[in-house]
Amino acid sequence: MTAHLSPTGTVGRFKAHFDLNNQEFSIAGSVRPQTIDELAPSLALLKESIDNVRGVLYINVRRLAQMNNTAFHAFSRVIIDACRVRPELRFVVITSSVVGWTTRKFGRLSKIEPSISVEEYDSEFYPGQSFLEEGGFIPILRTQTKMTWRHERSILPRHGMRPGIVMADICCGIGDFAVLAQKEFEPARIVALDHSKSSLAYARKVASEFDITGIEYTYGDASEMLLDDDQFDLVTCRHSLQIFNRPAQILKELYRICKPGGRVYITNEKNSHCLGEPRAESIRWTYNEVAKLFEHFDMDVELGPKSRRYLADAGFDDIRVESFMVTNLDGDPKDFADMISAWEDVYAGDMAVKRGDSEEFIKQFRQGFKDHISAALHPKGYAGWPIWAASGQKPL
Amino acid sequence: MPTKDANAEPSFRTMIQVDMEIASFLSNWAHCDYISSYLARTISHNRPDSVLFSNLFSSALNELLEVTFRTRHSGGALECRLSRHGETDRIELTFACGQEERTFLEDAVARVQGVDRQARYLSSLSGDVAPSRDMMLLELTVNYNATLRLEEVDADTVTIVVDLGGLAN
Repeated sequence: MTAHLSPTGTVGRFKAHFDLNNQEFSIAGSVRPQTIDELAPSLALLKESIDNVRGVLYINVRRLAQMNNTAFHAFSRVIIDACRVRPELRFVVITSSVVGWTTRKFGRLSKIEPSISVEEYDSEFYPGQSFLEEGGFIPILRTQTKMTWRHERSILPRHGMRPGIVMADICCGIGDFAVLAQKEFEPARIVALDHSKSSLAYARKVASEFDITGIEYTYGDASEMLLDDDQFDLVTCRHSLQIFNRPAQILKELYRICKPGGRVYITNEKNSHCLGEPRAESIRWTYNEVAKLFEHFDMDVELGPKSRRYLADAGFDDIRVESFMVTNLDGDPKDFADMISAWEDVYAGDMAVKRGDSEEFIKQFRQGFKDHISAALHPKGYAGWPIWAASGQKPL
Repeated sequence: MPTKDANAEPSFRTMIQVDMEIASFLSNWAHCDYISSYLARTISHNRPDSVLFSNLFSSALNELLEVTFRTRHSGGALECRLSRHGETDRIELTFACGQEERTFLEDAVARVQGVDRQARYLSSLSGDVAPSRDMMLLELTVNYNATLRLEEVDADTVTIVVDLGGLAN
């Protein structure tokens, strides 16, 4: 059941919906009516939802960007009144920390009626990301960006990068790509968004120390962004679709915020294709296992060559795909070796242990990383890490 | 009521100002939304978390504009000025109104300073059918840590001054 409000004025910019299966009433968009009469269909839907559930009603306001006091008051009254009439019913309001006001404001309702509670949703959305985003991984992320940038700086202009554009870097991590892009290509504006507060804090610290302005580091959920539709000439999202369990949903959002005629640029890996000589077999075995390990945690680090399909399914035109290989011959081989060493720590040290792998497996698993490092540092060795860069144009 | 003194706080830097005839403003409720969204976006770019800041600022400014929309005016213009000093963003809404409205606004602004504001806010949420203008101002102090005051520009004109500090922190 869905209620769309009047198409006139501002009240038409939101949608209310009831899902009986999940016992969930959701309301999304911007709700700023002049009078509560304008909300009648949605209030009726909320009342109907309450009448149709038992035990608990989830009220999903994750994508509720704006709600004026007139509307908040009206919806709150319906919920509070229901608490009094049906004391056995619980109300769980699902908010998003990204929106900023919903957790605090809906949280006040629990002071009036204890059967109303509020849960912030974001923290559980990215099951595997915590392995990669916190603490000691930052230096290695910087090294990775340094190595990929050598290639991407020449690739990017073929995918829509040029001076003066308005760009967004979604899942910007520690923000170093945005800084490099700004210095090299001088876009007019960069919005850099990530879901990790620690990474953003780092990005802001670097920007402040290096006196970098013009990059807006923004906290946000890539799957449900507050950014407006059709805003950016270029939207970049690097090495990120592969670590989300719902890449198509992220891509839909990237499409939404991209201007018609603009491009969305993504990079992803195919980890099983990491290679090295000597000891190629050991290295190949380990990286095949890396792909399976990520799959266990609902992440697809084999996504790179699937980029074309993902972009086509999301509705993009003029899809361009190319690949490049970061190797030990790009700059200092020690950088490459340090990166593999950090991968070993996270993949074999944290993730394999969490999956419950045996000591014997982990020993063999680690050996492939060590052999990859040896290949990188060997005077006649070669070590590679392949990456797929792809972009599509949003139709005009 | 204090009088407006442009030199009192020179450190607040004006960022943007929108002036509109009151009659034009009142011609469409959606003006509250348009103005708050546009101004919030415009001043947010150099805040650390620009999107979050813009969303919160727009919410607060929209409520103030809605209060203004519901005020009985005596013609003239609406001035909406945004200025900044460090972490604090200031909204100043200047408009003409009669003595009765002025008294109402003075009382409402005085009430939102009260120590019981949280309790009054909750009481309004659970008791009133629709929010009063008092409540809308009160909500700014409860949910956005805003500070409010009213300034007299001249005998017929007042300015509501609202300071919002550390909005996206």
